[in-house]
Formats: sequence, C-alpha cells, structure tokens
Amino acid sequence: MLRWVPAARGGWLAAGIGLLLLFPLSSPDAYFLDVLTTGFLLAAFTASWDVVGGIAGQVTLGHALPFGAATYALALLGRIAGMPFPVAAVLAVLIATAAGAGIGWLAAPLSGPFVALLTLALGEAAHEVAVGHAFLTGPGGYAWGGEGGIPVALPWRDAPPFAAYYASLAFLCLSTWGMLAFSRSGGGLILRAVAGSPVTAQASGVPIGRYKRLAFTVGSAFAGAAGVGFASHVGRATAGDLSLELSFQAATFAAVGGRGTVIGPAVAALALHALFQGLSLPPAARVLLYAATLMVTLRFFPGGVAGTAREIAARLGRREGPRIPRRRREPGTPPGGSA
Amino acid sequence: MSHLPQVLLDGLFAGGAYALMAAGMALILGVVKVINLSHGAFFTLGAYVAYSLAARGIGSPAVAAPLAAAIAFAFGVFLGKSFVNPVRSHPFALPVGTLACALLFEQAAQLVWGPHPVAIDGGAPWAGPLGVVVRRWGVSAFLASAALLGGLGWLLSRRPGLPLKLVAEDEEIAGSVGMDVEAIRYMTFGGSCAMAAAAGAFLAPAGAITPTMGRVPLILSLIVVIVAGMDSVGAIFLLSVGLGVLGNACAYYLSPQWSYVALLCGVALLLAARPAGIVAMAGRQD
Repeated sequence: MLRWVPAARGGWLAAGIGLLLLFPLSSPDAYFLDVLTTGFLLAAFTASWDVVGGIAGQVTLGHALPFGAATYALALLGRIAGMPFPVAAVLAVLIATAAGAGIGWLAAPLSGPFVALLTLALGEAAHEVAVGHAFLTGPGGYAWGGEGGIPVALPWRDAPPFAAYYASLAFLCLSTWGMLAFSRSGGGLILRAVAGSPVTAQASGVPIGRYKRLAFTVGSAFAGAAGVGFASHVGRATAGDLSLELSFQAATFAAVGGRGTVIGPAVAALALHALFQGLSLPPAARVLLYAATLMVTLRFFPGGVAGTAREIAARLGRREGPRIPRRRREPGTPPGGSA
Repeated sequence: MSHLPQVLLDGLFAGGAYALMAAGMALILGVVKVINLSHGAFFTLGAYVAYSLAARGIGSPAVAAPLAAAIAFAFGVFLGKSFVNPVRSHPFALPVGTLACALLFEQAAQLVWGPHPVAIDGGAPWAGPLGVVVRRWGVSAFLASAALLGGLGWLLSRRPGLPLKLVAEDEEIAGSVGMDVEAIRYMTFGGSCAMAAAAGAFLAPAGAITPTMGRVPLILSLIVVIVAGMDSVGAIFLLSVGLGVLGNACAYYLSPQWSYVALLCGVALLLAARPAGIVAMAGRQD
C-alpha cells in the first residue's frame, strides 16, 4: 500500500496505522473503541466519495444511496430471503454497485452543479421512501422499516469489540489500497483528466461519459462494501444510512482532507469523526460543526486544509533551496527539465 | 372527491407563494449564475420569523413578511459577498457550500426553536361556496406574491432592471460600461433570499413549521426554474401555481412524503431528459 504514496507521507501513515493497531491493547474504554470502529468504516466511505467527487470531479451529494442500498440489501436478503451472511454481503455490494452504475448512467451527460442536483434528488428520494414507510413485516408481526430500520441477521453473537475494531481497520486499509490503485491506474488517470478539463479530454478522444459511469460504479462498489461493514457493525439498516447528512459529511471530510487524494479524505474523516464523536456532542451540534467547518474550508482553503498545508510546506521548502522533484522522470526527459 | 375543490384552492394559494421563491431562485441563477441550495433555508427563516412574531401577539403577515425579508436580505448579502462571490468560479465549492449553509441553518433552527413542529393560528377562514373554506393566510399570500411578482416583472422590463439583465447577459460588457458587477451580484443574491423569506412568512400558517420545511419549496423552485427558465416571470408564476396544486393534491391523497418524493423524482427526470431549460443554462455537455 505504501508504495503508492510519497515516502514521507507513507512513513507517517505507517506510524498512524501502527498506533491504531496498538490502541486496543492499551485497554481503552469500549466507547472509544466503538467510535474508532465506526470511524474506520466512515473513512472508507469518504474515500469512496473521493473516487467520484475528487478523482473524477463529479460532485455527488447522493453518495449515501449506494451505501444505504447495501445496508438495506444486507438486512433484507438475510431476513427475508434467509440467505447466509457471506452470500447476502456479496449480493449487497453488487446491488450497491448496480445502483451506482444507474446513477452514473443518469449523471454522465450532466456537468457541474447539475450532477450535485441530480444525485441530491435521487439520494433524498431514496431516504424519504426508506424513512416514511414500514413496508415490511417481520416474524411475529413486528413492523420493519421506517425510522426503526431493519435488523441485520448476523452469524455471530456478541462479537468482541476488538474483532470488529481490527476487521474495520483491515477493511479501511485494504479498500483504501484498492481505491489508490484504481486512482493510479490508466482509468484513474483518465478520470483525473476528465475532472481537470472535460472538453480537452473529449477532444483527445476520451469517451468521457463512459469514464464518468466507471467512476460512479467503482465508487459505489466501495461505498457498498463500507455499507455492508457498517450494517454488520451496528446490526441494523436504518434510513440514516441513506441520509443527505451522510453524503454531506463525506463531502466535508473530502474538502478538509484534500479532494482527489483518497488518503487525505479518509484521514480527515477518521480524525474529525473521532474528535466530534469523542466530544459526545448531540447530532444537531455535530452537523452544525461539520457545516461550519466545510464553509470555512471552502472559503479559505479551497484546496483543502491538508492540501493548503502541503502547498505552504512546498513553498517553504523552495525558499530553503532547490529540492529533487518527487515525480518519476519520463523517458527522454532531461534531468530536472519540465515537460 | 368532495375535498377536491378545497385541495385545489389551498394548492393555488401555496403555489402563488412558491412562485415568489422560485422567482428569487431564477434571479440568482440568471444574474449570479449559481444554484443556491440554501434557498430553502431562507424560506424556513421566514416561517420562523412569522412564528416568533405570532408568539408575541403579532400575527399579521404584513408585519412578518417585511421583517423576514429584511433579515434574509442582510444574511443573503453577507453570504453573497463573503462566500458566494469569492468561490463562485469553483465547481465544487458552490453546490456543497450552499448546501452546508442550508444544513447549518437547519441545525441552528433546531437548537433555537427545537426539533418539534410548531404552528401558527391562521385566523378563522371565510365560508365559500360548495362548502369550501377560504383561508385568510392563503388569500393574503396569493395576492401579495402576485403583486410582488408583478412589480418584479415591471422592474425587469424597465430601465431600473437593465443592470440585472446586462449582468445576466454579459458580465464583461456590464463591467466595461462602469457597472459594479460584484455589488449587483451580491445585492441580487440578498434580494432573492428576501423573496424566499417573504414566501416562508406568508406560508407559515399553512402547516407545521420545522427546521427542514424549506426542502420541499427548494425542490419545487428548482423544477420551476429548470422548466420555465429565467426570463418570464409569468411562466414562473403559472408553473409554480400548477406545481403547488399538484403537490397539495399529492400530499392530501397520498402523503406529504410521497409528494416530496414525486418532486424529487421530477427533478431527476427533468435533468435526465435534457430539457431545453437545462441546455440554456449550459449544464450539459454535448
């Protein structure tokens, strides 16, 4: 994983992962362990937002839709169809991927704020359908759905918090590695070109619609996987999994961490979630803080707090003297020469 | 079926006020060239101002609407000048930033006025024919909105509206003839927010006032602007009234949530179907 990131940052990242691996061994409070477990899954979800909103530049405000589709699919397939958990989990991720492909198909011809508008409308519609209707009845006449959500049939009972913590951390590392690999692949680089200038990419013969659909599909697959992890952890699929606030949180974390970097948004999500959740703030105050953080970030740090910090560090570095460029030299390019 | 005339009349009244909000959205889109996702928050602000005044014994919309408009104008100018203008060229910042503003207001309203719905007494209705009751708030909302929109249409067709039309058409030319384009932009933003707040104050007695009540009129305004475009105030008014009637009928015969879902699906379908209004706004790539 670390070979995908520049050396210095890779070192800090390794140290961070080491600390996170060590944390449960320090006999922490179960609440903090749970906060971090949820934080890992939220960080993976935020990184999946970055695949669509950062790397591909398709600002989505309905990214909770594939996440929630996966949580509901996991719950319904397990409870109604009686499927074994692993089968239901795989199908849930596939359903989320299909949902993402559908959104991508609708959003691909659009650009700019209209993508945000379309995804917001689709996400809100799915949320309203989920929140307002107890559309199923479970065994014993209990109503499922609505605000209470649907319980997930888990194959384990009372799993130790350590197991959930380490499983979530492993999922975050693996999924982030997968998303970074995608962002550095040929398709990922073309998506960056599409995000930078769609007209130039199109003039160069890139079928931009196809690549936008690819971004939505891949991002939604990872969001669905995070949704499966989340529903397995909390044991229930609720309408909150489809909420606008969840999509908005992902956009906030990405803006703070630096869009298009995958790791930056994931780290910001983990840090801010742990901070705000650790302070035990009420949900209303938390969303208020997220909104205020986002507005300040967008106004004063358009490249994200982390991105601006990197720019300042780079400027300071240049003042100190010339540095060896980190980028790999293309064959035929003179040493130190620009493209 | 016996309730149909009542449902249609109430929808007509609500649609008239929605037209005021939609016209504000169209002004922002035309002059400032941004989609303001915080527009619904100003509608909610207007409703809460009306509620706060009613709780102090001042229930008249003639007081609530101007006060709500003044407060929203001040906040709108601040938002337009300090946030929208500096970041308007950034494709990520505007939709996400204005949504952040909307959520910020929703959560602030929840902290100030509480999460539970509140309501205003709209006064005793008048008895109409066929057992239909004519609600006072509805008549005042419809007439005031129609008058304000008529005034806006007149303004835009005369010399005072020329700067707005010129900035909407070509900012560079507007700047080259000495107009303060930035000031026109944020003043328009503030004025549009004031229109949304006035609409909220007019419609406050129509139902429950909640922190998230502005989401429905926001989506409705977006549909109106997408379909009717930004040029004709008359088209905006007629479409808003039509959608108000349709939305009210849907809310009555199905449920308010299904009405909202129908509106959301309407936005998605309109965007997916490449309507001419969207193409005119350069939202699509060919």
